[in-house]
Amino acid sequence: MLDYAEPVTKLIDEFKRLPGVGHKTAQRLAFHILRVPEADVERFVEALREVKRKIIFCSVCNNLTDVDPCRYCASPSRDRSMICVVEEPYNLVAVEKTRSYKGLYHVLHGSLSPIRGIGPDDLHLANLLPRLKPENNDGVEVQEVILATNPNTEGEATANYISRLLKPLGARVTRIAMGMPVGSDLEYVDEVTMDKALANRHEM
Amino acid sequence: MLLESLEVHNFRNLSGKVSWGAGLNIIYGDNGQGKTNWLEAIYLLATTKSFRTQRLQEAIRFNEDLAVVRGLVAQSQEVQREMQVNLQGSTKSILINGKKESVARYLGQLHAVAFTADELDVVRGTPEARRKFMDRGVVSLHHAYVQTLADYNRVIKQKNRLLQDASELEMSLEQAFEVIAPWNEQLIKLSTEIHRARVDYVERLNDVLERRLFERENITIRYVSSLEGKGDLSDYEALIAERLRLRLQAEIAAGYSLIGPHRDDLEILFDGREMRAFGSSGQQRSALIILDLAAISVYYLWHNEYPLFLIDDVDAELDRKRISYLLEYLEGRTQTFITTSKESLVEQFVARASVFQVSDGRVVSDASKEQLISSATGSAESI
Repeated sequence: MLDYAEPVTKLIDEFKRLPGVGHKTAQRLAFHILRVPEADVERFVEALREVKRKIIFCSVCNNLTDVDPCRYCASPSRDRSMICVVEEPYNLVAVEKTRSYKGLYHVLHGSLSPIRGIGPDDLHLANLLPRLKPENNDGVEVQEVILATNPNTEGEATANYISRLLKPLGARVTRIAMGMPVGSDLEYVDEVTMDKALANRHEM
Repeated sequence: MLLESLEVHNFRNLSGKVSWGAGLNIIYGDNGQGKTNWLEAIYLLATTKSFRTQRLQEAIRFNEDLAVVRGLVAQSQEVQREMQVNLQGSTKSILINGKKESVARYLGQLHAVAFTADELDVVRGTPEARRKFMDRGVVSLHHAYVQTLADYNRVIKQKNRLLQDASELEMSLEQAFEVIAPWNEQLIKLSTEIHRARVDYVERLNDVLERRLFERENITIRYVSSLEGKGDLSDYEALIAERLRLRLQAEIAAGYSLIGPHRDDLEILFDGREMRAFGSSGQQRSALIILDLAAISVYYLWHNEYPLFLIDDVDAELDRKRISYLLEYLEGRTQTFITTSKESLVEQFVARASVFQVSDGRVVSDASKEQLISSATGSAESI
């Protein structure tokens, strides 16, 4: 026998499909939904529908967007000679928050991971190479591709793979540096980061 | 560092609090009472791991929810810290002075070297046990090395999958190279780091090895790279890069990684012969003690303080003469914890030890030297 009436059980099961949600949380969320006014639920449902209906991949950079090309790719004020490659849309947001990078982006939607069955063909890579041709980039030649994939083994492998693809095309390929978080005391930096920062020290 | 006291709840069959001595501590009792469990609790407090099991939830007392191991550690005369490991279900939390801490910060507060029956694999088991021995040693000096090892194992796992795929999908060598190269690139860097760290560690061990502590035979150790004889090891990075290139086809045929420090070994010789194959079990035990003592000295030279030394079932592993040599050597160095079921051993060493009798998981009596010297009349002087 089910613990709850069928519609409640169904809702709990749906919540449990969400990442990071276990049985207890799913139960709590379901009972929250039961308590709130119907208008709130309608608004929630509409938000879910809308995001699925309106959000698409930018045909140039693969960022999530509601207009194509996305706002970055369409903006006349962005520097079209630079492309920053990131794994996920939220990584793009992290780079964007610096306000110091004015170039374009390319979102891969993942990183290479053979054990999870993710190879080069599963990444949004196919449309990166054509972007390096001026005729596909408003006549501007790409001077530099910055590889800002994550600093773990999968991100490293992805960056390495892409640099092997791009180097023969003549563009400058760079990898973001790893090391100390700025604005923090040395003592709060974990040892692995400190170790990397020491290894990557530079002349003053 | 000094473990002043240890309080345990629901960890295996243990409960209660014990105040330890600064030098030699003898944990004594009949078999099955929980002597080794006390050593395991100390090891857990120091390393957050067990020397017995990978699955720590097994160590929570049956029908209980939460196991707690808490110790008071003197870092110096003035500085004391309370360290604590909680086991709850499959989760482990670690605390310093009652506040949660990250593993990276917790490790290094207290360090322990354990001599146990399982650890004998180092001298008579597979190369994996010896690689682990070296890696434990390197980590005791550089904690960041933990990440290097984790990354290395991860890259090997990813590459092995590609090697399997390459043979199953019948990829051409060029195709295989294209997908494997990004992983080999990382392997080259990580392998070089691991090779350098282990070679350096074995050199340090060699510098302090008490080659003839117990025997007339001379013990020597040497790091054996799996790339030995394949080229110039002094330029390891270039050598492994070349080997990875040359052996790609063989690796695809095998379906797993053939090249790298996961195939290396530590050679342990006595009078030039291999300990693993030719050593008697007594010689093997002596060799392991000598290696452990060297690890302790290397730790001391680096950190300027001694780790704890834990010796399980000292009687089963070493004869009396060796135990005497060993305990004499350790005096004034490590805070040492040994377990035994032999009353005669307790009597022999009582003059210089704190003795704790364990029954059903509890320490039922702890005797200071003065008390026991008077009760074990004569035997103390006869050492």
